[in-house]
Amino acid sequence: MLLFAILAIPLAAGAMSFAARNRRVMEAINLAGFTALFLLAVALATQVLRAGSVSMWNGFLAADSLSALVVLLTAFVALACSVYAVGYFREDERNHVFEANVRGAAAISSLRKYYSLTPLFVFAMLLVALANNLGVMWVAIEATTLASVFLISFYGRATSIEAAWKYAMIGGVGLSMALFGTILTYYSAHHVLETETLAGLNWSVLVLNAAQFDKTTMKLGFILILLGYGTKAGIAPMHTWKPDAYSEAPVPVAAMLAAAVLNCALYGLIRFYVLTTRCLGPQFASHLLIIFGLLSVGVAVPFVLVQKSFRRLLAYSSIDHGGIMILALAFGGALGALGMLLHLTFHSITKPLLFFCAGNVEQHLKTDLFRRAKGGLIHSMPVSGPIFLMATLAVTGIPPFSMFQSEFTILRAGFGGTVLWPPILLIILLVVIFIGFLVHIAKLVLGADPGLPPADSCPWKKYSLIGLASIVVILGFWLPGPLFELIRDAARVVGGER
Amino acid sequence: MITLMAAFVLVLQIAMVGQRWLVTNIRVFAAQSFLLAGIANTIAYFNHAPHLYIAAFLTFTLKAVALPIVLERLVNRVDIGQEIAPIVNVPLSLLISGGLTTVGYIVAASFHHPEESASPASLGRNTLAVAVSLFLIGFFMMISRRKAIMQVLALLSLENGLFLAAISLTYGMPLIVELGIFFDLLVAVMVLGILVYRIQETFDSMDVTKLSRLRG
Repeated sequence: MLLFAILAIPLAAGAMSFAARNRRVMEAINLAGFTALFLLAVALATQVLRAGSVSMWNGFLAADSLSALVVLLTAFVALACSVYAVGYFREDERNHVFEANVRGAAAISSLRKYYSLTPLFVFAMLLVALANNLGVMWVAIEATTLASVFLISFYGRATSIEAAWKYAMIGGVGLSMALFGTILTYYSAHHVLETETLAGLNWSVLVLNAAQFDKTTMKLGFILILLGYGTKAGIAPMHTWKPDAYSEAPVPVAAMLAAAVLNCALYGLIRFYVLTTRCLGPQFASHLLIIFGLLSVGVAVPFVLVQKSFRRLLAYSSIDHGGIMILALAFGGALGALGMLLHLTFHSITKPLLFFCAGNVEQHLKTDLFRRAKGGLIHSMPVSGPIFLMATLAVTGIPPFSMFQSEFTILRAGFGGTVLWPPILLIILLVVIFIGFLVHIAKLVLGADPGLPPADSCPWKKYSLIGLASIVVILGFWLPGPLFELIRDAARVVGGER
Repeated sequence: MITLMAAFVLVLQIAMVGQRWLVTNIRVFAAQSFLLAGIANTIAYFNHAPHLYIAAFLTFTLKAVALPIVLERLVNRVDIGQEIAPIVNVPLSLLISGGLTTVGYIVAASFHHPEESASPASLGRNTLAVAVSLFLIGFFMMISRRKAIMQVLALLSLENGLFLAAISLTYGMPLIVELGIFFDLLVAVMVLGILVYRIQETFDSMDVTKLSRLRG
C-alpha cells in the first residue's frame, strides 16, 4: 500500500497541476505533493529498516534497503527543488523571461508545463527504484528521459532546443543499448529459470540464480548495460549531453537531473552489477568500471580548468562525481559499496545547493558566463555568495563536509585492493578539480564591490538556500543513526551479501 | 521461413541506407516493421507463445501503420527538402553496412550452444545475426545522417533490431515489459516529432549539424 501511495502521489499532483488555472494553486499542489511524498519515503525507509523488504502485487513492486534509499533521496531532492522552484520562477516572471522567449505564450502555460511535467518526471524516477522487474525498470528509465525533454527545452531558446535534442537522441541510443543488455540478461537466465512469465526478469528471482547464468551472454549484456545506463548517468565518453542539458534547463530541473536522475541511472547499473558479479566474479565488472570511472573524472579535469560558464562547470562536477561513484563500485568489497552509497547520499544532498546558488547568481547577473561577471558578488548577495563558496568546498570534498568522508572511504577501499595506481590517480585528479573549481567560484564571489543592486530579497530563494545549507553543514558532523543503518544495509545489497 | 523473412528485413534495412528520398525511407521502415510483425506471428504460431501475437499486433499497428503516418505528416507539415543529405555518401554507406552485417554474424556466432538444440536460439541464429546487424546499421545511420527526422527513423529501426533479437532469443520479453516498451516508443516518437518541428521552426532547417552552438 505504501509503495502504491508513493507512486500515486506524484501522478496525482501532476494531473492536478495540469488542471489548475493559476500559479499559486500549482505551487501549492507541488509543495504539498512533494512534502507528502517525502514523509512517505521516510515511512518506507523506517519500515524497510524494521521489517526488511516490502513488496506488492506479486513482487511487481518491491523495495529493499537500496530502493528505499534511492526513493528517500529522490523525494528529498524533489522537495528541495519544489521549494526553490517557487522563488525561481517568480523571479523569472518578474524579469519577463517568459514573454521574451516562449513564442508569445503566456507565463501561465510555461509554468503549467513545469509544474505538471515535474511530478511525472519524479514518478518515473520513483518507479525506477521500486520496479522489481528489470524490464519495467528500463521502461521507467526511458520514461525519465521522455518526461524531462520538454523541461530541458523549457525556455524555448535555440540553444535549449539544441540541448533537448542532444539529450533525447544520445539518451535514446544509450537506452536502446541498455534494452539490448536487458534482453541478453533475460536470455542468459532463460534456460536456468525455464520461465517465460514476468518473474523471469524479476531481480529478486534473478539474483538467487545468477551463478548459473550463461557466462558469455552475461558478459556482453553487462557491457551493453554499462554503456547504456552509463550514458544516462553521464559517464565519459557518453557524457556529452550533460553540460548542454544542465546549462539550458531551468535550475530546479538541472538540479533534479544532477542529483536524482544520476542516482536512478546508477541504481540500474548496480542491479546488473550485482547479477554480473554473482555470475562472473568481481574481476570482470571491476576492470570495466575502473576504466570508465577514471575516464569520467579525467575528462572533467580540463573542462573544469578552462570553463567559461558556471552552469556548465556544475555539469562537469556531476560527471566527475559519477566517475567517483563508478570507481567506488569498481574498488568493490564492503568498503567500496559503503563508500559509493555514502557518496551517493551526500552528493544528492549537496548538489542541489550548488545549483540553487548558481541559479540565484545567474538570475542576478542575467548571465552564466564568468567573463561577464565582475566578481565581488558577496557584496550584493550576502546570502547566496558565501553559501556558493561553502557549497563549492562541500562538493569538492573538503573536510569537515560530508563528501570528504565518503571520498575518504572510497579511497580506503581503493588502497585495500591489489592495484594501487587507480586510487593514486584519483587523488591527483580530485585535487586538480578542487583547485580549478575553487579558483572559478572564488573569483566570482570575492573581490571588490562592482556596484550591483542588492539581491537575495526573495524569501523562497533565500530560505530554501539557508535550509539546505544547514543540512549540509550538519551532515558534516552528524549523520543520523537510522540513515546510516539504511545506507549500510543498502551497501550489503550492493556487495551481494543480501 | 523465419530466416527468409529475417533476411528480407535486413535487405530492407540496407535499402534504407541506400535510399535518398525521405518519404521512401519511411515506407521502407513501414515494410520492415510489417515483416517483423509477420516473423513474430510465425514464431508465436510454431512455438505456442500466445503473448507474441499481442506483440506482433502492436508492431503492426504502431510501427507499420501509425508511426509511418505520423512521420509522413510531419515531413509534409514542415515541408522540408525530400533528400536525406547523408554525411557519408551512399556507396561507402552500403559498404560499411555490409561490414557491420559481418560483425553481426560474428557476434551472433558466440551465442551458439551446440549442446542445447532445444533453446530458442537454435531456431534462429541467423535471425539473431540479422538483429545484431540491424542494431549496428541503425547506429551507423544515426551518426551519418543530417536530417533530424532521419535520426528518429534510424532510432526506430534500431529498436526493430532489438525486437527481433528479443523474439529470436527468448520468444519476446514478458508481456508487461513489451507493452511498456511500445508505450515508451510511442511517446518517444511524439516527443521527438514535436522537437523536430521546433528545430525546423527555430533553425529554419532540419540539419542537425547546425545544432552546434553549445560547446565546451
